[in-house]
Amino acid sequence: MSNNRASFTPSRRKFLMTTASSAAGPVIARAFTGEARAQSAPRNQREPVGVRLEVNGHVQDLSLDVRTTLLDALREHLGLTGSKKGCDQGQCGACTVLVDGRRVLGCLTLAASVDGRSITTIEGLTSPGQELHPMQQAFVDQDAFQCGYCTSGQIMSAIGCVHEGHAENDADIREYMSGNLCRCAAYPNIVAAIKQAKAATQSRLASKET
Amino acid sequence: MSAAAPQPLANMGAPEPRMDGRAKVTGEARYPSDMPVSNPAFAFLVTSAIAKGRINAIDQMRARAVPGVLDIFTHENTGDLKEIKFASGGAGASTSIQQLGPEVFHDGQIIAMVVADTFEAAREAAYALKVDYAEAPAAPSFDSPGVETEDVTQLHDSAKDIPSVGDVEAALAGADVVVDAQYGTPTQHHNPIELFTTTCVWNGDRLTVHEPSQFMYGLKNNVARKLDVGPEQVRTISHFVGGAFGSKAQLTPRTGLVAFAARKLHRPVKLVATRDQGFTIATYRAETRHRIRLGARRDGKLVGYEHEGFEITSRPDKYFVAGVEDAARLYAYGAVKTKVNIVHADRNTPGFMRSPPVVPYIYAIETAMDELAAKLGMDPVEFRRVNDTTTDPISGKPYSSRSLMQCYDQAAAAFRWMARDPHPGSMRDGDWLIGWGCATAVYPTHFGSATARVRLLANGDVRVQTAAHDLGTGAYTVIGQMAAERLGVPFSAVKTELGDSELPPASVAGGSNTTASCCSAVMKACHAIRAKLFHAAATANEGPLAGQQISGLTLRDGKVAAEGAEEPLAETFKRLGVGAIEEYAESAPPGAPADAIASLYAGKPTLSGGAHGKKLMYAFGAEFVEVRVHKDTCEIRVPRAVGAFAGGRIMNTRTAHSQLMGGMIWGISSALHEATEIDPVRARYVNDNLADYLVPVNADVQAVDVILVPEVDPDVNPAGVKGLGELGNVGTAAAVSNAVYHATGRRIRQLPIRLEKLL
Ligand code: FES
Ligand code: FES
Repeated sequence: MSNNRASFTPSRRKFLMTTASSAAGPVIARAFTGEARAQSAPRNQREPVGVRLEVNGHVQDLSLDVRTTLLDALREHLGLTGSKKGCDQGQCGACTVLVDGRRVLGCLTLAASVDGRSITTIEGLTSPGQELHPMQQAFVDQDAFQCGYCTSGQIMSAIGCVHEGHAENDADIREYMSGNLCRCAAYPNIVAAIKQAKAATQSRLASKET
Repeated sequence: MSAAAPQPLANMGAPEPRMDGRAKVTGEARYPSDMPVSNPAFAFLVTSAIAKGRINAIDQMRARAVPGVLDIFTHENTGDLKEIKFASGGAGASTSIQQLGPEVFHDGQIIAMVVADTFEAAREAAYALKVDYAEAPAAPSFDSPGVETEDVTQLHDSAKDIPSVGDVEAALAGADVVVDAQYGTPTQHHNPIELFTTTCVWNGDRLTVHEPSQFMYGLKNNVARKLDVGPEQVRTISHFVGGAFGSKAQLTPRTGLVAFAARKLHRPVKLVATRDQGFTIATYRAETRHRIRLGARRDGKLVGYEHEGFEITSRPDKYFVAGVEDAARLYAYGAVKTKVNIVHADRNTPGFMRSPPVVPYIYAIETAMDELAAKLGMDPVEFRRVNDTTTDPISGKPYSSRSLMQCYDQAAAAFRWMARDPHPGSMRDGDWLIGWGCATAVYPTHFGSATARVRLLANGDVRVQTAAHDLGTGAYTVIGQMAAERLGVPFSAVKTELGDSELPPASVAGGSNTTASCCSAVMKACHAIRAKLFHAAATANEGPLAGQQISGLTLRDGKVAAEGAEEPLAETFKRLGVGAIEEYAESAPPGAPADAIASLYAGKPTLSGGAHGKKLMYAFGAEFVEVRVHKDTCEIRVPRAVGAFAGGRIMNTRTAHSQLMGGMIWGISSALHEATEIDPVRARYVNDNLADYLVPVNADVQAVDVILVPEVDPDVNPAGVKGLGELGNVGTAAAVSNAVYHATGRRIRQLPIRLEKLL
């Protein structure tokens, strides 16, 4: 691969070059083809692209089809199956992860577009045998799930919601959690869980933990 | 205790947190598409772009040229797959439409599958397939020219006893007040958040199928038949299911295809169907229509009830739910006449969706009940009280238990129903018209054949195994609670294993039978373990329990105990000279055929209950809803809903509360949100995604209160449990619709009630 990174924070220019030089997906292709082709020699668009992600504190180097979403990179290439695919089109929230601390839909994010960024998934909140993150514990206490399929996304989104300051009251929580569908309809319990874990989640943020 | 974990009342178990809770909040719970398999190839389905016609040709050239493509499967190279006839209830396939072509029977029929090294390549190639169709005009729905109607009583033995009693014409002619109205419910899709996935791995001639399923042994046996291999060669695994609601109970066409591809390619194949494909490759709730005539005397006594239902199905399959069977037993109606028709259209075959028979039929009768109460000028709760019954109006058989009016009274009090002004449009809050409505929830109590294996170690650890499913219902937890109780150990000492066809079989997780059926089998296995321990302790030559009456012994706190004497389990195990006791038990409902368990192993469940036994077995509830309708925009909101439910023994108040709460939200959703729209010309689903198929989001849901009403019913099954999973969303739609009438004076008889219907 041509990407030989020294530091973990790629410049915007480097990001654009990475994307453009390996553009194969229809969306990116439309945006960059003309310019990129004019500037650099055409390359095989099917050649895998190198992507470096910091996932739950571990640096991961991947070689991916450029069309690979962050969600599929996590699930199919890193074996982190906690993040779920519920629609693959940005409509359900089951794939929600944190990118540099902000909630993002893994299915609508190409892995190559978050090259060099820091990703937190549900697996990053605690380790086997360790205490649960306060938000996880609150979801258990408040029975804020049934089938559990939306739950990873709900919990990551809930942490993001608290970090953003959007958990001030019930109405706010409901509104700012409305991108995460729960077909089992655990909604009232999800609201209760976020209220339970809000203070502890805020104080973890203050001490720079997720 | 909290709202999520209500204080247990009489005959209710502790709100233990879910056994699988930690796994689900840490991402450790592996749903079938999460199972690690080595070097999988990825499949992508191609579905039909027409609803009726023929495939002339499929041009694969561009698709095959996509780098990484391994193979493309169409009707031309999959002829070895066997046909399995459609069968209701998990015993067969969800549809007879299994061939990939050349005939096309419905929009979105699977016509090809591409397998490639990567998901991205498979998808690219799938889009590159060029299909040439000869399209024929399709008939998608009730009023389309070309649909065919059949009377179901003429079709099936099981439909022969469509309920009827007395002379309805005469009764209605003599009634003081009659409601004659037509109601309609739309097509709905389950849309569990988990997609329909299948991963198949062959090891020699052994196949492992990872697929979310409500019935491991059904899937195992049907996949075996589909591939023409022995059932012993097939293992199905689904430790977790990401929501099912009826959509994952039967064999659908994709499974055999994925297994076939994996065998041919000598490589695991993984399919994750897309959300829109999920609308057409599995089942859905059929669109229905109802005509009801309901008559009463001036004093409110019902005298006659006629209900004719129409249900959409596919061209080849005779799927129907015939919920008149339950609706006709709800009140002391006097004379009853019912009929159900199916209407064959160019659709995929419908199937069970949460509370299949009762949801559309109870919506219709409970709305008609409200209409009649309004005509009589009676309070809707009192109208139901006047017509409450303890016996079946059709057969005269008694109900095993029926706490309907207790539910009404408790829910009405919590809702403050007494403050209601009965006149439509009379209650207001600023620009908002307020409406209060109520309706009955009812669901047949099912008891199915099941088996279980329970192992107790000398240190008090317990393992329970049964191939049942936890669809989010709490099955892991409540089955474990039953074992903990019967074996006198703490809940934390129990581990429940489910969702694997290597475990002893359990029934299909449908009809809300799992808790009753599995807990009854677990009780039986525990009973055998207890008997061994008691015998050893009581017949010992020495020890604190030597010579005790066996009938006076029990297990508690990790000890074998009698009045005033006890010994630790470990001591009793020493007397037996064993380190563990393991018992396998079978439980079948009364009246089940002698081969019910053999059939279960072969993938055929036996379910009894509802109206079919010596007594009628049903769970009841009462639901009250407040709606607010904006006077100008007609925007509809549901600020609060209260439901009270009686379900026999409640194993766990936390999981019961969640199921019922989720059910009520489903009901609100079916009243106000959900409908799958179909293009009337092309017969294709239009809103086949989660942005356009409306399900409630967090902001749509406000206060939903669940009251658990104590009830004891030893008749339903040894565990005394009535299922709850499907009770909560029955009646809710009628309660909402009745509340909308109360708010606005407008009676909307076609769901969903969206604001354009009020403008
Ligand atoms: S899978 Fe990403 S939003 Fe649904
Ligand atoms: S818990 Fe099942 S979708 Fe949310």
